[in-house]
Amino acid sequence: MPELAIILAGLGDAFTPANLFFVFAGVFVGQFVGAVPGIGPIMAMAIAIPFTFGMDPLAGIGFLVGVNKGGLVGGAIPAVLLNTPGTPDAAATALDGHPLAQQGKPLKATKMALYSSVTGDTFSDIVLITVSAPLALLALRMGPVEVFGLMLLAFAVISGLMGPSLVKGIIAIALGLLAAMVGTDPEHGTPRLYFGQFELYDGIPLPAIAIGMLAISELLRRLSESRREGNPAVRLPRGQPREDSMVSWHEYWACRFTLARGAVIGTLLGALPGIGSTAAAFMSYATTKQAARDPSSFGKGNIHGIAATESANSAVMGANMIPLLTLGIPGSVGAALIISAFMIHGIQPGPFLFDTQGRLIYGLFGAMLLANLGNLIIGQVGLRFWVRVVSAPESFIFASALLMCFVGVYLTSGGLFGIGVMLAFAALAYVMTTLGISVVIFIIAFFLGPRLEVSLSQTLALLNGDPTKLLNYPVGLVLALIALVTTVFLARRNHDRADQT
Amino acid sequence: MLTDRVTGGFFILLGVVLYLWVIPWQVETADYGWLKPRTLPLALAVVLGLCGVALMVKPVGDARPSTFNWLRAALFAGVLALGLWLMGVVGFVYAASPLAFAVMWLAYERRWLWLGLGSVVMPAVIWFVITIVLERTLP
Repeated sequence: MPELAIILAGLGDAFTPANLFFVFAGVFVGQFVGAVPGIGPIMAMAIAIPFTFGMDPLAGIGFLVGVNKGGLVGGAIPAVLLNTPGTPDAAATALDGHPLAQQGKPLKATKMALYSSVTGDTFSDIVLITVSAPLALLALRMGPVEVFGLMLLAFAVISGLMGPSLVKGIIAIALGLLAAMVGTDPEHGTPRLYFGQFELYDGIPLPAIAIGMLAISELLRRLSESRREGNPAVRLPRGQPREDSMVSWHEYWACRFTLARGAVIGTLLGALPGIGSTAAAFMSYATTKQAARDPSSFGKGNIHGIAATESANSAVMGANMIPLLTLGIPGSVGAALIISAFMIHGIQPGPFLFDTQGRLIYGLFGAMLLANLGNLIIGQVGLRFWVRVVSAPESFIFASALLMCFVGVYLTSGGLFGIGVMLAFAALAYVMTTLGISVVIFIIAFFLGPRLEVSLSQTLALLNGDPTKLLNYPVGLVLALIALVTTVFLARRNHDRADQT
Repeated sequence: MLTDRVTGGFFILLGVVLYLWVIPWQVETADYGWLKPRTLPLALAVVLGLCGVALMVKPVGDARPSTFNWLRAALFAGVLALGLWLMGVVGFVYAASPLAFAVMWLAYERRWLWLGLGSVVMPAVIWFVITIVLERTLP
């Protein structure tokens, strides 16, 4: 557990002018790209990671956190105005946001989304700051057997809950782990699967995989679906009454229980790897509708619908960092990208972070809270501007994003060879997505692969060929058994679903 | 269902090729240690093959884009590969503009203002930021 002086110093670091600038710049960029359907914060983070290479670690990671948080707010704008969510998380927001916009209240809907998002996000950040250090202490007591059991559990949950089927989830894990095997074997130091390409001796570069599979493949999909008709223009009604373009304190306070419910659901689901903010948003929406006195008003512009979804999907972001910072397991693709930023700066995520990089972690917590404030301020000022961004031509945005991906990977992944790797994995991701195989699971498995292999190797060495020695490691054994039960349960659930369809 | 069955067949084939040919060819052997360099890759090849069998026996459903989208995606991928080759030959400064122009044109952009912004102004801004501001090299 870091000392109070380190905690205070870390929080203070977040408030230096340079870090403040980068956090707010990240929020600005995030809201901007979130407002453009098809780009989203994940792609923006993937593109931005290489550009943080030359920055101070806190400034770089704070910038990425700002992009992620800003993107969640920005994603609600096209959902409300065009019924085209900028991010999957915002799909549920469109259910009530778009009808409200059609009633001539687009600014009211987007402002409610903004306030709800900031509320949910701040709640989950406070939970993260409160629980992560004690959880990391617990994690530090885990040996290789427990870590291996935990990895198995993470893979079981992620493969079953992310993506459409358990089998396809396992395929994604196997492919991701195989990709992680490229390079030098961690135990023997012998080269594996490098096909004579010495650039692959240290493994496939993570930025090339992340940018190729998340950004380029998505750009390919969007470009392949582009048609001659452009985006519909969005016009804000002029001369509308003030109460139709703002959210009063009375209206916000009336949503307090909805906001609290959404924040709790988002935080709980966000702390579990693999569930994601889209599920949290829809679950919060469904429970709010069930609890409402007038459920029939939902889907017709009820402000509680927006509050429920936005508070939940934003609360996932902070909670996602709990498994990341305490166990080194990314709970979502956004968290996986933040991990790659950590690694670019030479920092290994996991329970040791609080001991070795306590000041940086508390600086990051400070940056997260600042990003929420930035979201509120920039959102208040910028909403009218982001509404215009929705109408920017996709062709311009996509071409610019492609060039930035090329440059970003060139800078961090060994030149033109890295760009070639990026394009190859983009093509793989396009095919995988088409076949319903999750790219996100692939990336998480790729990231966890080396740790899984090392912990398995150490576990086998500890057991020394005697499986009964597993009884000496009850926590690891229980985790492995839970992983097995989870897999069987999810397989049966998938089987039942397949039979129903 | 057919797509899933074909996918399953592909993964069976991939598992077999990996197990019998690629891994023995590309992974060196070691005589010591509990986890040898080949152990995990071979296990993953078996897992892929078994998942392929599962998909063939019990397909979970189809989700595939139209042939038109596949062709357009392949076209854009080809343009990007060409752009990469061009960057290797003439460098970013001369390759970025034609690449951005081609992408925008194929995405049905016909407004000269936006074409100019995307294929001239944006590459110039990127070049300025990377080489002048960040003092890094471009291809």
